[in-house]
Amino acid sequence: MMLPPTPSLSLSANIIGLVVGIILTVIGVVFGFAQGTSVQFIILSAIATLAAFVWGWRYVLGQFVSQAPQTDEGPSEIRRVWLQFRPALIGLVAILLVFLVLSLAIENFFNIWNVISLLILLSIVVLTRTLGRQFQENRSAFIGVMVLSGLFSIGAMNIEGFASTMNIKSMLLFAAFLGIASVGQTLVALLGGLDLSIPFIIGAANVGLLYLISLGVPPWLAVILVLTIGVALGVINGLLSYRLQGQALIVTLGTGFAISGGVQILTSIGTAYGGNVFGTVPGWLSNLAAMNGVTFGMPFPPVIAIWGLIILILTIGMRYTVYGRYLYALGVNRTSAKRVMISELKYWVTMYAISGFFAALTGSLLLGWSGGGFIGVGDQYLFLTLAAVVVGGTSLLGGQGGYGFTVIGVLVLQVLSSFLIGIGLEFEWQQFIFGLLILPMVALYARSPHIRTQI
Amino acid sequence: MSEATTVSDAAPSQGGRSYPFLLVPISLFFLLLGLAVLRSPSLITSAGIGSAVIVATPLILATYALMAVVIAGRGTVDLSVGPLIGFVNVTLIQLHGAGVLESPLAVFAYAIAVGAAYQLLFALIVIYVRVQPIIVSLSGYLALSGLNLVILPRPGGVAPQWMADWGLGTSIFSPVLLILVLASLGWMLFTQTAFFTHLRLMGSDERAAYTSGVPIFVVRIGAHLISGCFAGLAAIAFTALISSGDPSQGTTYTLIAVTALVLGGASLAGGRGGVFGSFLGAINLYLITFVLATFNFGAVQSFVTNLAYGTILVVSLLLTLIIPFIQRHLRNFSPLLYFVALSVVALSVILHATFDYQSQGQVQPETGADQTVASSQMLTPIDREQIYVAPLEVAAPNQQESAMRAAAAPVILFILLMVVMAVFLRVAFSQSDRRSLAPVVAVVILALVVLGAYMMRHPGSQNAPPVSVEAE
Repeated sequence: MMLPPTPSLSLSANIIGLVVGIILTVIGVVFGFAQGTSVQFIILSAIATLAAFVWGWRYVLGQFVSQAPQTDEGPSEIRRVWLQFRPALIGLVAILLVFLVLSLAIENFFNIWNVISLLILLSIVVLTRTLGRQFQENRSAFIGVMVLSGLFSIGAMNIEGFASTMNIKSMLLFAAFLGIASVGQTLVALLGGLDLSIPFIIGAANVGLLYLISLGVPPWLAVILVLTIGVALGVINGLLSYRLQGQALIVTLGTGFAISGGVQILTSIGTAYGGNVFGTVPGWLSNLAAMNGVTFGMPFPPVIAIWGLIILILTIGMRYTVYGRYLYALGVNRTSAKRVMISELKYWVTMYAISGFFAALTGSLLLGWSGGGFIGVGDQYLFLTLAAVVVGGTSLLGGQGGYGFTVIGVLVLQVLSSFLIGIGLEFEWQQFIFGLLILPMVALYARSPHIRTQI
Repeated sequence: MSEATTVSDAAPSQGGRSYPFLLVPISLFFLLLGLAVLRSPSLITSAGIGSAVIVATPLILATYALMAVVIAGRGTVDLSVGPLIGFVNVTLIQLHGAGVLESPLAVFAYAIAVGAAYQLLFALIVIYVRVQPIIVSLSGYLALSGLNLVILPRPGGVAPQWMADWGLGTSIFSPVLLILVLASLGWMLFTQTAFFTHLRLMGSDERAAYTSGVPIFVVRIGAHLISGCFAGLAAIAFTALISSGDPSQGTTYTLIAVTALVLGGASLAGGRGGVFGSFLGAINLYLITFVLATFNFGAVQSFVTNLAYGTILVVSLLLTLIIPFIQRHLRNFSPLLYFVALSVVALSVILHATFDYQSQGQVQPETGADQTVASSQMLTPIDREQIYVAPLEVAAPNQQESAMRAAAAPVILFILLMVVMAVFLRVAFSQSDRRSLAPVVAVVILALVVLGAYMMRHPGSQNAPPVSVEAE
């Protein structure tokens, strides 16, 4: 990946963008006062709206500035359109068919909200195939944002209370947990590895932290201890899997098994309850991650702010620091990275250490959220972190993607799951639909080239 | 995934017999077998082996299913093999409950067809949608494990009547064993075909296979079909084991099967893997569980099992790293010979465990059909101190046994002497065509050994053993 050429727009385009952004912000502020939200919240969201809009305006328009329209000779117009947009057209027809069948099969299915949802779905497909093509890079991010906004608007229309502050807060909270857990997976995937020990370290940190607290260790010291142990486990993972990079998946799985077994043996020696630890969680830890947490007077749990900080540091760090660029260099081509004196071992082990750290952090935060230690708390993250990385668009082969992509993946997964809960589906149906949706999402942008182009 | 493994495969030229990747699984197998037999001699009874076959067969077949696609390369670690087994299990039970599937033939046809159909879909997606196989399998894992819970929300249902007594495991020769043997033989026959050669070529280097004219799409579809058939068989063995339907139990087979495959020396990067290794890997996992169950750790039993699984997995993976060194020094390592040699040792351990314990009145009570039963009811927990020394117990021989030992000592010494002499003779002969001191040194050492033996056995005696005459 290279830095994208800075999009340069003409003065008039810039001014128009600024004006539209200010108008939007003003509308938001007026609505905020009308609804009686707190002042610092309004100011924060106003700044966020303006910044996001202006950035989006410059960035998205900038993508098209350098695009010269191509007119090449070929078959007839319709045939060319067919060739170019074949998957999109097939997708359109498929969605229409499904909608038709559902309307015929289910009573009351054909209402205005569902029709609008259908239109949104259709426009997502059309936009991703037409507009998405124009993006030279970051296509997956664009598609992810499209899917995200589509899903969110469908959910907001169809489900009562979907777009309420409460629900958004809870979605962000769970997204923060998943997002922090996926940091390590993303970094490791950028090097072409996989870390399946994350869920086990999460569970072990969760149980171990409570165990340490119940032993009488001061909570702040216990948290630091757990995080240090997480880093140490990550280093062990990295060192063990360095020579076995092709099988990193299974090495980390093995260490994960061993870690979770070992911690459980340690914590359950002398107690009658195998695997369960009881104790009280300190207030500040609960506040950090519980739904009713407060950040500097603002009504959202600090873990969301922590996640935001992590996103900021990681995206900027990976893009503009030498460490980040070296990471991509290693992921793309080991040999050439070695020629410019980048130590593969150092980066490999560091990434696994970071992964262990964030897994332990997630485990500690989850303890604050749930208030009780449970070894299986991380189990769902086994495949969710992987799914977030993949849906976001980071290649598992290394060198492509970044943490920003994973954030989009995390949000898509979170909105999707809360949408599915919202329409009243059971957990197993959710899992089923998750599984079925990962494939087309990945197929939208992460297809590998045909073998005959690789020779 | 990584290039390193495939490169190290091809590097040293070697004879066809040499396959050092089996070194670790074979050694581990006999180590665990010896431990298991010493801990619980009832493993080597008709019932013990029978229950072992029943419990281990689904795992072995799942490992075969995984092996077929893993060999195909591109990092096709089929995570969905466990949920697929569960899917066939629950649909089989539900269909049987609805009175659709009755005859054995129909059940087998159904299981194999479902497995093959799923894997065919898998292969087509990998080929035409061109998504990384691991994504497809992840997707399948989530989708199928969700679907299983929808089809059968909680464990229940009954297996067909004719299948019910398969799961008892009271004798070795059960239909499940027949399935296992047939599946293994089927794979061995398959390895003799050109198709298998193509498969391995594709697995180790897909581009090379494509450029040399291997129809890689057909080969990939074939590998997935074979995997699907094995998964269907595994599902039948699994159904026979639990005699009912269980939506979540099958899912656990994914991780165990991957572990077993790696323990068996296969490369997850593709191109390497064999039925013997996979078989041993799966059996090793079963033996680990069995041995740990005999120690009876009480509440922390499953944690200890996890710890042991993880540690053994990582250690055996690390051991594969030293295989290139072994390969350099051990050009003609023969897994078969190694296996036979260790079997002799294991056999003696089994004989010891079976007969000596009985003669000393320490016979362990007969364990039941299931190993979990064995751990929870039959065996008494052992002392903490005994855990470390129990496998290395010291015998307390009586008069008669001491006399027998004294009589046996010369024979053993003689055999040892013969072995040492054979080794040095072999060295002397193999080095004899070179202009070096090696043959001379070997002969001299041989002579010294013979002389030493002669001096030791017969201080001042006249009748030399016939061996030394022959050697000189």
